[in-house]
Amino acid sequence: MLKLDSKPNTKPEMPKRESTPSALDYAIEAKDLNVFYGNFHAVRDVNLSIERNKITSMIGPSGCGKSTVLRCFNRMNDLIASARVEGEILFNNQNIYASNVDPVQVRRHIGMVFQKPNPFPKSIYDNIAWGAKINGFRGNMDELVEQSLRGAALWDEVKDKIHQSALSLSGGQQQRLCIARTIAVKPDIILMDEPASALDPIATLRIEDLMRELVEDYTIIIVTHNMQQASRVSDSTAFFMVDESRTGHLMEYGPTKEVFTKPKNKKTEDYITGRFG
Amino acid sequence: MALQNLTGDVATYPEGAAGEKQVVGRQRRGKFWAFLFRASTVFGILALLALLYNVVNSAFGFVMLQNEIDPDVIVQQAQGEMLLNASDVNPSEDDQELAAGVAVDANAIGFFGYAYVQEHSDTIRAVPVDGVEPNAATVDSGEYPLARPLYLYSAPSVLTEEPQVAAFLRYYVEHVNAVIDEVGYFPAAAESLEASLALWQEITGQNISESNGALEAGSVEVAGSSTVYPLTQRLANEFVASGFGGEINVASTGTQAGFAEFCSNGDVDIVNASRAASRAEIEACRSARRPLAEFRVGNDALAVVVSQQNSFLQNVTQEQLAQLFTTAELWSDVDPSWPSEPIVRYVPGAESGTLDFFTETVLPAELEDLPKETLIGILEANVSSGLMRRFESDQPFAERTQENVYELVVERVVESTIVKSWSLVDSIFNHSEIEAEVATVPNAELTFRSWVTGDFITSAQSSEPQFAGVRTAIFGSLWVILVTILFALPIGVGAAIYLEEYAENNRFNRLIETNINNLAGVPSIIYGMLGLAIFVRALEVITSGRLFDVGDPTTANGRTILSAGLTLALLILPLLIINAREAIRSVPASLRQASYALGATKWQTTWNHVLPSALGGILTVTILAISRAIGETAPLVVIGASTFIVADPDGPFAKFTTLPIQIYQWTSRPQAEFRNLAAAAILVLLVLLLSLNATAVILRNRYSRQGS
Repeated sequence: MLKLDSKPNTKPEMPKRESTPSALDYAIEAKDLNVFYGNFHAVRDVNLSIERNKITSMIGPSGCGKSTVLRCFNRMNDLIASARVEGEILFNNQNIYASNVDPVQVRRHIGMVFQKPNPFPKSIYDNIAWGAKINGFRGNMDELVEQSLRGAALWDEVKDKIHQSALSLSGGQQQRLCIARTIAVKPDIILMDEPASALDPIATLRIEDLMRELVEDYTIIIVTHNMQQASRVSDSTAFFMVDESRTGHLMEYGPTKEVFTKPKNKKTEDYITGRFG
Repeated sequence: MALQNLTGDVATYPEGAAGEKQVVGRQRRGKFWAFLFRASTVFGILALLALLYNVVNSAFGFVMLQNEIDPDVIVQQAQGEMLLNASDVNPSEDDQELAAGVAVDANAIGFFGYAYVQEHSDTIRAVPVDGVEPNAATVDSGEYPLARPLYLYSAPSVLTEEPQVAAFLRYYVEHVNAVIDEVGYFPAAAESLEASLALWQEITGQNISESNGALEAGSVEVAGSSTVYPLTQRLANEFVASGFGGEINVASTGTQAGFAEFCSNGDVDIVNASRAASRAEIEACRSARRPLAEFRVGNDALAVVVSQQNSFLQNVTQEQLAQLFTTAELWSDVDPSWPSEPIVRYVPGAESGTLDFFTETVLPAELEDLPKETLIGILEANVSSGLMRRFESDQPFAERTQENVYELVVERVVESTIVKSWSLVDSIFNHSEIEAEVATVPNAELTFRSWVTGDFITSAQSSEPQFAGVRTAIFGSLWVILVTILFALPIGVGAAIYLEEYAENNRFNRLIETNINNLAGVPSIIYGMLGLAIFVRALEVITSGRLFDVGDPTTANGRTILSAGLTLALLILPLLIINAREAIRSVPASLRQASYALGATKWQTTWNHVLPSALGGILTVTILAISRAIGETAPLVVIGASTFIVADPDGPFAKFTTLPIQIYQWTSRPQAEFRNLAAAAILVLLVLLLSLNATAVILRNRYSRQGS
């Protein structure tokens, strides 16, 4: 049997992390990750350990493979016919790319929020209830919907029109609905692929506030082009770079403060200070 | 205005006038293409209008109906019988007898030729009708309702070329008043006869003061009204007696037939007419180079008579007359102020023209207004008893409706057949020529006919164009389409889902895709060959229904609705798969990703999100595929659709025909009327297709509204 469900016994005590985090403190780890699209080597030798209950941001210039790596975390790359993944991704000490692992079960535990809000063309209620239903939720559905909407800071705005079409909401509301939909299935990790890039500044701020609240209960990995956003919101930052053969690789990874204030690498500094990218 | 070259560098773009010219040139090229596109749109619309014009032009227009028996004659006979079968009725061919009978009974009423009233004015009296007393003046002016003028018609060319005809006509006009009373009619007014003589003089150029001179030999042919017949016969005899050496033949054919014969050939020299010629008859004879010349010779009038002992009946209306001679039994039934005594009726016998005239004037009715019993009587009198038994066993007459019996009478007794039809444009622009042509055909009438009627849609096939309909074909088409959808929709959508969502991109699947795309372009007749080989022949046991022990053993071959539906299903499958794939592909990837990210399986994603979003598109392509299948003809011809079938199909194992097959059959018939039918069927098919396409548009709009 897979051990994806078996959560570590406790939430680890936070202070320990300041020193060297142990394997238990990592929500998910990429080991020697290489991704190919057909013959094209998209990502090379990524080793990345994501800390539990933290926000980790992945930044880098266009085409550096950060979104590709993000999609590896819940096997969304499987949907691309030509994509091929080598290396391991460890989730609860289980390689999710092992041949006996069903991607459906991976995605059940590792949810995702996309760049463009993509609610189902159904009612607000059904948007949230559908994921719960297919995953065999047995509790009180109304409660779950309310709880999820509150969790995504959307309840007060939509409680009177919960059976109206989700498409009638504004872009920011739709994105928060997508977050509510994701947390309704109680994942361990939430992947966010530039979740605020299609939103206006105010809606973006609300999403960022929401992320800070969610990180109490979830591990969040976010891909962003917005340097300020990464520095404002994330605990750790991974900087990806692209080499001459357009293959992406991890350049630098560490606590956000360090990456942004005293980067070890010259390229990182150039990127962060806006000299390229 | 030319733009300035801002930098002052060497200009690499045309500036000034050259620049302006360059822009004008570009605009001109754009306008050229825009014009070309507009022209092709207009061309397309014109082609569509031409098609519609052709169809509508044939689907509506005049038809010439020719009746085996004039319905008016049938009505007259039936009503005459009704008169003769009323209670207390005393029919007699002898007017003297009638007069004598009425004379002695205060409660008697009768009618006969006016001449006899004067003879017996001591015992009987004529009753005013609608307040008009019958006398020479009121009859001649037409004021008295039970009167009609009598005419002779000929043509100037006849009178000038055949002197014996001219001589007879002159003799007739000069001597008619001497005998008209004896025949039982009223004389015409003196001025009318003078006018007739003046016309004769003008045509022949002879002076009436001169004597006839030597009487000519030769023959005179007279035809027409049975009313005028005895008068003409009498005068013919006298003319011969006065020394005419030739012979005179008088035929009693009816006024209308008389005109028709006169205009269509030269066999008839004079027409007896109990009414004035109609506009159409005048037109027809003029175009036949025999313009009509009219000679008034007298009047026919009926008198309604009662005994001199009768004191209460001072006036009678036509409605009262109708009741008095048919349904009423007591005088008080008609008018309460009259005594409650039984009405004793004296009417002329069935052979008499007087009876016909009375029923025609007092009891005017159309065949279709007659009561059911009367219609059954007409049917009994005119068709064989064997046929009556067959009608009875098809459906007992007691259960049949009046309309149903009327249709039988029209079909079996009147036997009106369409002898010619005209297009809508002809009907509008050549109206008078058409009327003239119809007037030359005996017993023919012209009616405007819409070939698309309720009857056309609800009637089965028939070899008689006016009874033929498309019901069988519509049912056939619907059945075939039902089978087609039942097979093609699940298979087509299933294949589309597989290819779009599940199939991996390997050599085998690419081969399948290529094949499907190629199949969509295969001519439909090849599918017909396929259907013939597989469904009709190889799978005959199944498609004929023998395996399930159903179906008609007499048609136990595979040429059934099931075979046709399966063939058409094959035909539209590639179309359906390609377009359903398109619909599925147009579902945004983000929707699929959202579903997968929640931990949904491929099937859950497909069933809950992809299919609902693609539903509008799938429905649209389904309906478009159905439209294609409905209009398909060639494969059904190959697999053997029935060419003539009267029974509605009753299931998937029945023989069938479809609308396009029906249209194809009709257009290949030699009779022009079937082309009108084909045009009507095309209209039905077009309406069916347009409503299907409209449904597709509505569905697409509804689903796309929901989707976004």
